[in-house]
Formats: sequence, C-alpha cells, structure tokens
Amino acid sequence: MDPQLTSLIVPTEEVTQIEECLSHLVEDTGGNYALLLDKSGQVIVSQGDGIRQDITALGALIAGTFASSREVAKLLREKDFRMLFQQGVRENIFIALIEEQWILCVIFNKGTHIGLVKVLTKKATDELASVLERVRQQHKARDEVLGSSFRTSMEDTIDLLFKD
Amino acid sequence: MALINVAAREIHCKIVYYGPGMCGKTTNLQYIHESVSSDVKGDLLSIATETERTLFFDFLPLDLGKVRGFQTRFHLYTVPGQILYERTRVAVLNGADGVVFVADSDKSKLEENIRSLKELAVNITRQNKKFQEFPIILQYNKRDLPNALPVAVMDKYLNGMNWTRHEAIATTGVGVFDTLKSISRLVISRL
Ligand SMILES: Nc1nc2c(ncn2[C@@H]2O[C@H](COP(=O)(O)OP(=O)(O)OP(=O)(O)O)[C@@H](O)[C@H]2O)c(=O)[nH]1
Ligand SMILES: [Mg+2]
Repeated sequence: MDPQLTSLIVPTEEVTQIEECLSHLVEDTGGNYALLLDKSGQVIVSQGDGIRQDITALGALIAGTFASSREVAKLLREKDFRMLFQQGVRENIFIALIEEQWILCVIFNKGTHIGLVKVLTKKATDELASVLERVRQQHKARDEVLGSSFRTSMEDTIDLLFKD
Repeated sequence: MALINVAAREIHCKIVYYGPGMCGKTTNLQYIHESVSSDVKGDLLSIATETERTLFFDFLPLDLGKVRGFQTRFHLYTVPGQILYERTRVAVLNGADGVVFVADSDKSKLEENIRSLKELAVNITRQNKKFQEFPIILQYNKRDLPNALPVAVMDKYLNGMNWTRHEAIATTGVGVFDTLKSISRLVISRL
C-alpha cells in the first residue's frame, strides 16, 4: 500500500521524550503551555499549567492557520514559512514546523521575550525532528499495536454510535 | 495519515467533506452534530461568512470512547466549496485520512461537481498520495430536488472509480449517517 496512507504510530518511549522536550521548553521559556500537533490538527502531546478545555479546537485551528500560511508562502514564491508568531494582548503564540509533519506551538505571556522563545524553540524542533525520524523508521505492524480483532470491534462501535 | 499514540492509547482519524459550493457539506455536519449522542460529540466549530457560507472550515470532533483499550477519535472537517477558496481547501485537506465527496444532485450543478472532483484528485496527488488508493466515499445529496439528475447519470460522470456511494437529503438527515459509517469503516480498514 502507499506508505503515505499508513498510520503514524508514536510508541510510548517517543511520547515520553516528546513530553520531556515540551516541559523543558515551557520551563526554560517561562511559557504557559506547549503543544505538539500533527499536521492534521490532532494533539499529540500537551504540557503546561492548567487544563485547556478547548485544546481540540485549538489544535484544529492552529493546524489550519499553518496550512493556510503555507499556501500564502507558495503564492509569494516563498518555499515555506517555517515559523509563525501571533501576538495577543495577554498571550502570544509561537508556532514552528517540524519536517512538514508536526507543528510545535508555544503559548507565552508578556513576561517572556520572543527572542528567547525563538532560540529555544529552534533547539526543541531539532530534538523533535530526530524523534520524528525514529517514529518514521519503526515500521511497527498495526496488529502488533492494536490487536487483530480491533477492526471488527471498531466496526461494531461505529454502527452502535453513528445513528440518528 | 491516522495517528496512533501508544502511550496515551489514542487513535485519531481525520475525515474531510469535500465538494462544490452549496452542495450541503456543512448541513451534513450540522445534522450529525444535532443527532449524535452528547457523550460522543464535541462542539461544532464553524468559520463562516455572514451569509453562512464556509470561509475556512467546519470542525466536529467525535469521540467513540474506548475500543479494545484505545480511545478513538474522528475529526470531521468541511472545506469551503466556493471556487475562490481553492487554496483554503488545500490547507484543510492537509493530513486527511479519508474524504466524503458530496455532489449536488441539482441538474444544473453537474459541471461544478465534475470540476470539484478533478480538483480533489489534483490536491490529493499533490500531497504525495495516490488518488486511486485514497479512501473516498461519494454522497449524492439533495435527492429531494424535483430536477435531481438520475443516479445512473451521476454515476457515469462522477463514479468512474466505483466508490461506495449514498443518496442523501442532508437537510432531513437521509443518508447522512450511512455516509459517515461508510467513510469511518473505510478509514479504519486502512489503519
Ligand atoms: N433541498 C435541499 N437543500 C439542501 C440539502 N442539503 C443542503 N441543502 C441546502 O443547501 C444550502 C447550502 O448548504 P450548505 O451545507 O451550507 O452547503 P456547503 O456545501 O457547506 O456550502 P459552502 O460552505 O459554500 O461550500 C443550504 O441552504 C441548505 O439548507 C438537501 O439535501 N436538499
Ligand atoms: Mg459549508
């Protein structure tokens, strides 16, 4: 099958590394929150103070913003915007791309200088790029992770829940 | 591509409703949001113009709970169908695991349907995915219209690939869940 259509399986060990990387990033920048998203908008890992209830919608919107800025880049014959910065009154958000696959976001307030966030985010994206590389290379069989009866159970659940 | 987080035991799949302007993509999501049980659905997020046309996307997260120990989530999106928003559709399509192509059965919309489907093929190919292998379900919407084209005619122009297709009236919900079930099963079969 087309390798682009198979799932991206992030093993426990790699999730732990991502969590550590994000919590260092939050600590070192004095930021409030860091998120790692898949380009499809799904949240892989989030770290920081408090629980954001709207995190799912946040992921969808940030990924959408990034994807649309990429289209803007193309129209300007720019290869890509690797980073995006959005400035609010209370909070700012800094977004960086990792190998066209993942998106790293740092949410921080006025107390933190953007220059520091830029430098530390760059460091973190390099680290996360190597995690991503390892994730891509581990061709774990789906059945090994999900179990062979997953599909039939899933179909039953779909029939049960998707109805008027 | 679907995302499986082994540590959190989570699976995420992204499904995009694609099709020409006004064909009923947003109406599909609204019906699902109104009808599905409240422990399954999240909030429906719509970024639309003042006239209710989709400007960026609609987004509806569905949480199917634990299946064999894995928390399973489907994220449904619609693209903005108006010609003007071609680049925005590319952005929303990014990372999709499956597509529902919603065609408008209105006789006068056949050409728009064909053009939109061609554009979808180009956009999927540009993401380095093989269009022939990409999970797609067809929906012929607005079957209630008096001037609806016969299904056989729509098949001839739109379903050369022999996808599973459903007839629908999204405003009353006919065929909406059949379509959702088909695309979900198809995406799961490719995990
Ligand atoms: N008669 C009829 N009207 C429908 C049906 N489904 C949707 N509509 C109507 O078609 C119009 C457009 O529907 P939307 O769901 O907003 O269309 P859309 O595809 O999201 O349009 P864009 O956001 O511009 O791409 C609305 O007035 C709907 O009420 C249907 O099955 N039958
Ligand atoms: Mg719409």
